Amino acid sequence: MPDALREKLSAAVGPANVLTGIELSPYVVEGRTPEAAVFPGSIDEVAAVVGLAAEAGVPVTPWGGGAAASVGTPAARAGLVLGLRRMSRLLEHEPGDLTATVEAGITIGAFQTALRSRGQWMSLDPADAERATVGGVLATNASGPRRHLYGTARDLLIGVTVVTADGAVVRGGGKVVKNVAGYDLPKLFVGSYGTLGVIVEATVKLRPLPDHEQLQAVPFERLKDTGVAVKAMMGSDLIPSAIELLDAAAASSAGLAGDAPPGGALLVVGFDGPREQVEWQCAELARLIAPLGGRQARPLEAEAWPRLAAAASTALPATAAVMTFSVLPSLVAETMDQGAGIARARGLHTAWAAHAGVGAVRAALASDAAPHEPDAIVTVLGEWREMARAGGGHATLEWAPLAVKSRVPVWDDPGAAGRVMQRIKAQLDPGNILNPGRFIAGI
Amino acid sequence: MATLTDSRKRELRRELETLVGPGAVLSDPDELLVYESDGLTLFRALADFVVFPTSAEHVSAIVKLAHRERLPFVARGAGTGLSGGCLPAEGGVVISLMRMNRVLEVDYANQIAVVEPGLVNLHLSWNVGPRGYYYAPDPSSQQACTIGGNIANNSGGPHTLKYGVTTNHVLGLQVVMPDGEIVWLGDRTRDAQGYDLAGVFVGSEGTFGIATQIVVRILKKPQAVKTVLAVFDQIDSASAAVSAVIARGLVPAAMEMIDHLTIQAVEDAFNCGYPRDADAALLIELDGLAVGMEAQAERIVEACRDAGARETRTAKSEAERQLLWKGRKSAFGAYGRVSPAYMVMDGVIPRTKLPYVLSRVNEIVAAHGLRVGNVFHAGDGNLHPNILYDPRKPGEEERVVAAGAEIMKVCAAVGGSISGEHGIGLEKADFMPFIFSAADLSLMQRLKSAFNPTGLCNPGKIFPTKKSCVEVGPVAYRPHAIEEKGLAQRF
Repeated sequence: MPDALREKLSAAVGPANVLTGIELSPYVVEGRTPEAAVFPGSIDEVAAVVGLAAEAGVPVTPWGGGAAASVGTPAARAGLVLGLRRMSRLLEHEPGDLTATVEAGITIGAFQTALRSRGQWMSLDPADAERATVGGVLATNASGPRRHLYGTARDLLIGVTVVTADGAVVRGGGKVVKNVAGYDLPKLFVGSYGTLGVIVEATVKLRPLPDHEQLQAVPFERLKDTGVAVKAMMGSDLIPSAIELLDAAAASSAGLAGDAPPGGALLVVGFDGPREQVEWQCAELARLIAPLGGRQARPLEAEAWPRLAAAASTALPATAAVMTFSVLPSLVAETMDQGAGIARARGLHTAWAAHAGVGAVRAALASDAAPHEPDAIVTVLGEWREMARAGGGHATLEWAPLAVKSRVPVWDDPGAAGRVMQRIKAQLDPGNILNPGRFIAGI
Repeated sequence: MATLTDSRKRELRRELETLVGPGAVLSDPDELLVYESDGLTLFRALADFVVFPTSAEHVSAIVKLAHRERLPFVARGAGTGLSGGCLPAEGGVVISLMRMNRVLEVDYANQIAVVEPGLVNLHLSWNVGPRGYYYAPDPSSQQACTIGGNIANNSGGPHTLKYGVTTNHVLGLQVVMPDGEIVWLGDRTRDAQGYDLAGVFVGSEGTFGIATQIVVRILKKPQAVKTVLAVFDQIDSASAAVSAVIARGLVPAAMEMIDHLTIQAVEDAFNCGYPRDADAALLIELDGLAVGMEAQAERIVEACRDAGARETRTAKSEAERQLLWKGRKSAFGAYGRVSPAYMVMDGVIPRTKLPYVLSRVNEIVAAHGLRVGNVFHAGDGNLHPNILYDPRKPGEEERVVAAGAEIMKVCAAVGGSISGEHGIGLEKADFMPFIFSAADLSLMQRLKSAFNPTGLCNPGKIFPTKKSCVEVGPVAYRPHAIEEKGLAQRF
């Protein structure tokens, strides 16, 4: 990085908030060290930093908690890390409005703690809540088990403030729960991986905390029987908040080793609401599942919740790749069963977990052989992607070493929609300085 | 505005007929008149052609022709919109989707339906109803409005308090882009790849292209429903009750406010059993599991009583429930009993600001020498002040428009929005700066350019930049054709 740029950055945010050299080690991604990490303390400072970077043609990587830093195609040039950790305040929370506005750098955990003290929560439960930030979760569209009932970031974000590539501060949406004035910019920025702007503030819809919550675990001897069980549940009067399907390896990683039969699966179902409704639903679940191959349901402690979101990714001792799938809910059990078979045929191990009711599946892949030999892994990932496509879905290579990423595209082919995405990127970031090359369709 | 010579018009008509068939093109001024406005009859503009495609390929061919001829074009559903969004503001071609009205597929296992844009909203619920499902977004024009129009406006309705608006129920769309290319945005699965183009398309008011297939979620019908009418002697108490219900951790499916003037009108017209002497009533609906519903209803009743409700009534039967809803849903039609005309406003505020904003609305309207009836989605903070007036009296219509602008400024000042569900269209294009900065609007313009670089797709809408050549101003009010038939009301 040119000294002149570093001096300007120091002037913009204060020298203590510009890291270089050895201090950059927490921001090294896939062996690439950024040229500097800059931590602005206000929206104006973010705008100044982006403006300076744009002027110098240095790429910018917005950085929340770094929880998803390794997702995506590695950038050709590491550039500048723009960290939001100094912008972590809860700005407004009006319980009667069921809305709150935060700075993007607040962690999910800190935000939820503040909301809980006033009887509310943001109905989004991604993994790694103490590290993941609101801005990062929005940018990567992360979610967790309760998305089954409460939806994802796109359903909760009602207003967003971003700094765009030209250093302008732009607001989209607003602070009210219903709003059709202008284009839906919050939707544009959810899941955009920092390629269109730096999210600096967000206003989200909230919900009252439920009176009561209960998880039930139902073991199945055979994974493939769970498909019918999930279908029966979806067609019933039950209103579960989560339907998680774990294979034995993922169940074990979620601390439920004793619950899933070897080679079988564990269905974990969450209910919330008034106590009598939760109790009625637990009983109804047992009644419904019994004739469909499910064993006796067991209530789980609340501590099991946060372990569910990361169950697959943390299941194997030496994970070689993690792939996520978006498939039709009716194909989840089949996807897991078939996908495991594909890996087994190549001598590889897998762990699978799914938000079964919404068709979001995550698989981890590992081999006994030396990880330097990625051929089998590359083949399996390719076949998995074909499997997802054949069912009308798609797959994303969420994590893998560079040796694998260089041979298996991180993102699936978006078809003709990719050209629309490229045009949006060209309009909003013509200089291509925001996370260049990291995202889909070469964006 | 594009001006075509008569001979050129005849040539283009013939060409359009070869694309879509002889019975599918209108160009006679008398026939075009039906399409000169939507539900906001204040604005009128004539197209050169109205075309009725029956497939995405038809739509694509028409769009390509319009593109070649540099003719503006706009998609139109049932024409129930309330902001002039589907008007051919700059002439050109109206593409009516009313002949593309099929339910193409219902996948019950995955709780999705694939529909064409001209499908009437309520017809989807009818289609899947026998299997125990429904389509949740329920704009009150749902007997007439189309899913395609709902996509353009991101339509809401009373039950969006719990279930969200149109965008929360759309997974993917097949779209004819403004250059005629047919593209899928999103798909049938829940997580789109890349940017959320389906999410960005919904609510773009027809300026990003024309949806020709839509994948929507269908929901299981709730096991039980309970409807409560809470009656108040002070509208402020009713407003406070809205926040009180929320503060107690209750999220009803719907929470609607009906004020004194509206109660009078409704009772005159339909005799729904609302107490005439009440200052306001809240219509609150719970849905979900049967077990525990009684207890939840009691908590709601308690919250209303504590806020000052003098009386609460719970519907004892489906017939009673329907009668309570009839009062709410027929309110707009009922204003005809108390005024020759009215104009419906649409604004949103944080719900805790309801008491203040309602009193400001009343002050503003009174200061213009007019009356107002309020019937609206209180739980969402989505106001619908209906300003009553007599279009035959010189100057009244201008006063209505002026009062409307002031009300929008109040909504903006308390951190709200200038539209909750009717859209910006032509009506509110000049109000956009109330809530958006030049930088905000510039980004929206660039987004529009990514979809619609020539600007031919529904020009003149949303952005305050230029005045369009539409007839605006003191025109006599008249109900829209479908309103006269009783098919639609203004919500």
